[in-house]
Amino acid sequence: MRKGPNRPRIQRRTRNGLLFVSPWLIGFLAFFAYPFFATIYYSFTNFNGVQSPKWVGFANYTALFHDPLFGTSLFNTLFYTVFELPLSTAAALGLALLLNQNVRGRGIYRTIFYIPSIVPLVASCLIFVWIFNPATGIVNDLLNDVHIQGPGWFFSIAWSKPSLILLGLWGVGQPMVIYLAGLQSIPAQLYEVAALDGAGAWHRFRHITIPMLSPVILFNVILQLVACFSYFTQAQVIEGGDIGGPGTSTWFYVQYLYEQAFQFLKLGYSSAMAFFLFVISAIVMVLLFRSSSRWVYYASEG
Amino acid sequence: MSIVRRASGSARRGLRSRLTIGAVALALVGGLAATAATQTTAATAHKASVVHLTWWTMWSGASLGPVDELVKQFNKTHPGIQVTETNIPSVATTSTAKLLSSIAAGDPPDAFTEWWPEIGSFAADGDLDSFNKYLTGPLAGFKKYLYPVAVQGGSYKGQLYAAPMSLNSWALYYNKTLLAQYGITSPPTTLAELYADQAKMWITSNGQVSQIGFYPDVNENGFQFYTTFFGDTNCIKNGKYDYANASACPGGIKEMDFINSYANYSYSQVQALQTAEGQVAGGAGDIFSNGKAGFVLSGPWEGQQEVPATDTSLEGNFGVEPFPGIPSTIGQGNFVIIPKGSKHPAQAAEFIAWLSGYKNAAFAAKIDTAGGWIPGGPSVTKQPVYKAWISSNPWLKGFIPQMTDKGTVAPELTPNQSQLFTAENTATANVLQGLQTPLAALQYIDQQGNS
Repeated sequence: MRKGPNRPRIQRRTRNGLLFVSPWLIGFLAFFAYPFFATIYYSFTNFNGVQSPKWVGFANYTALFHDPLFGTSLFNTLFYTVFELPLSTAAALGLALLLNQNVRGRGIYRTIFYIPSIVPLVASCLIFVWIFNPATGIVNDLLNDVHIQGPGWFFSIAWSKPSLILLGLWGVGQPMVIYLAGLQSIPAQLYEVAALDGAGAWHRFRHITIPMLSPVILFNVILQLVACFSYFTQAQVIEGGDIGGPGTSTWFYVQYLYEQAFQFLKLGYSSAMAFFLFVISAIVMVLLFRSSSRWVYYASEG
Repeated sequence: MSIVRRASGSARRGLRSRLTIGAVALALVGGLAATAATQTTAATAHKASVVHLTWWTMWSGASLGPVDELVKQFNKTHPGIQVTETNIPSVATTSTAKLLSSIAAGDPPDAFTEWWPEIGSFAADGDLDSFNKYLTGPLAGFKKYLYPVAVQGGSYKGQLYAAPMSLNSWALYYNKTLLAQYGITSPPTTLAELYADQAKMWITSNGQVSQIGFYPDVNENGFQFYTTFFGDTNCIKNGKYDYANASACPGGIKEMDFINSYANYSYSQVQALQTAEGQVAGGAGDIFSNGKAGFVLSGPWEGQQEVPATDTSLEGNFGVEPFPGIPSTIGQGNFVIIPKGSKHPAQAAEFIAWLSGYKNAAFAAKIDTAGGWIPGGPSVTKQPVYKAWISSNPWLKGFIPQMTDKGTVAPELTPNQSQLFTAENTATANVLQGLQTPLAALQYIDQQGNS
């Protein structure tokens, strides 16, 4: 006769298991699930955080598409993402390749290139404001020395976004280290065999390094995408007194969302903005993951 | 035996005396304990009767001294109310976010000194406690004590929601050294003269501006700061903005044309110079107090705080004249509000009235002179300290009369005031960068204000 399941034991084990994961569960429910569903609910209301929310249906979403600053902030964010993402990926990967070379003192070089990414973000921003100040900054002084009139950088509509992209490149130390770790996990035999077969440096890079590194590239691209979509601190610090300026050239999506939520207390409207950003991010991530089957190589899959 | 008896007798005496000492000691200890208990009870009762107020402000640097003195003096003279001041960052989004989050969380400060024109928005959203119900008894005369423009600037739909600790008065500062250097014998009295005089002072080399004459949005002085000089404060009626309507609001287009006349100067270069010379650079003061501008629109704090903190050589080398246009000033200032949910609103109202100088004129005069502030009510200006301050600083003379000029008004408080503030700054910057025509900029302001 087969013994039936020991119900009290299973229940006890389940209870104990839940007890052990409860810190994570509580954190998940309190800091992710509740805010997420609350945001969706508030996006259909007129809510200022103090009075009770009033149901307005899709009015907030309709208003988004009649708000010129919403379009501007979305454009600025996409512009930044489109340029920053490939440039920072290329810069981080390029640096990692250089620092993976067997040269004397490479530990020192690695440290030097990593240091900027541990400098506090606000400090980096203020330093950049100084260096790129068109009136007194060292960059324009140097350009002047070679008879080039430097641009207005952060103070010019045309140059403010490129300047922020440059600032973004300053902090590529973090992905660089991840790429470096990825590069070191590629078996050396693959390069040796390819060299024996007559493959040059470019071919080895194209057909060994890139495929073997592709999971790391995917990981870094996802992190970078999230950072680009939620771009806030640098623009907020640098444009300090003229947030979003000059003009509206540095109005980024999350800054506008923050202003609507915490300066104008339009929490319903800003919730709609937040949910819209979530939808856009989700679509991009789904597309990225779908495309990954064509360009990401997992050694375990053969 | 006798020895024994003697000894017993002496032992008894010793015992008696020890008992006596013990009893006295016990009585003393008991008495002391009773006294201590009474004192503790009294202290606890006193502690329980003391109301603790929290006051959030955004001051920093040189202004902190006078503000600290205010708190110390209030706590000294009001043992039943003790105030703790907290400084929060003076960035509009940050300070507003902090305040509103605290209101939403049910734990706001009891008093908050607001710098940004947002009181209308807060009042309309129900984020503030009205002063009206506290204006009885000792505070009955408070409204009459204030300048009319102060009452106007703090009122929304007939309720007083804010009272000024101090008011701002704006006028045209000029650098005497630069005027003399460029052969200008007297400060300008018209906008055309101002433009012509300031145009001589710009220094540009290799496209980099290192000195300016005048520029409208220096120190973030956007559209809103010039409205009274063009008489277009009446372009807000019943909460509706109508700046772009030239027939109803001729001052609107005149003001934006004035801003537009400076669009030929490089916006980015002026901003860069401001950043390099201002507080962002880690220093004090601004572009004028650093001696890099011929003219600036500013208030008494410029001469009282910024110049001495930045460039003492400018002390005595600057002058102040009314800004060209309608004699007036914009009625705004350091308004103090009682956030909804304040735990002690009545005591907060008492504190705010005291801060304004109400029944506290002598001390307010001392502090206002240290901070370079215009008081909330005229009686403070009649104090000997205040009079002495004015007479020893002749450049201050114009600021006080402006408070009661016919053209002096406070912007009407509206539910969209904070959006309007942002829109006015954006419109100013857009016009100065040639991104919008003056009319389009006014339409943008109206659209944002009425949205």
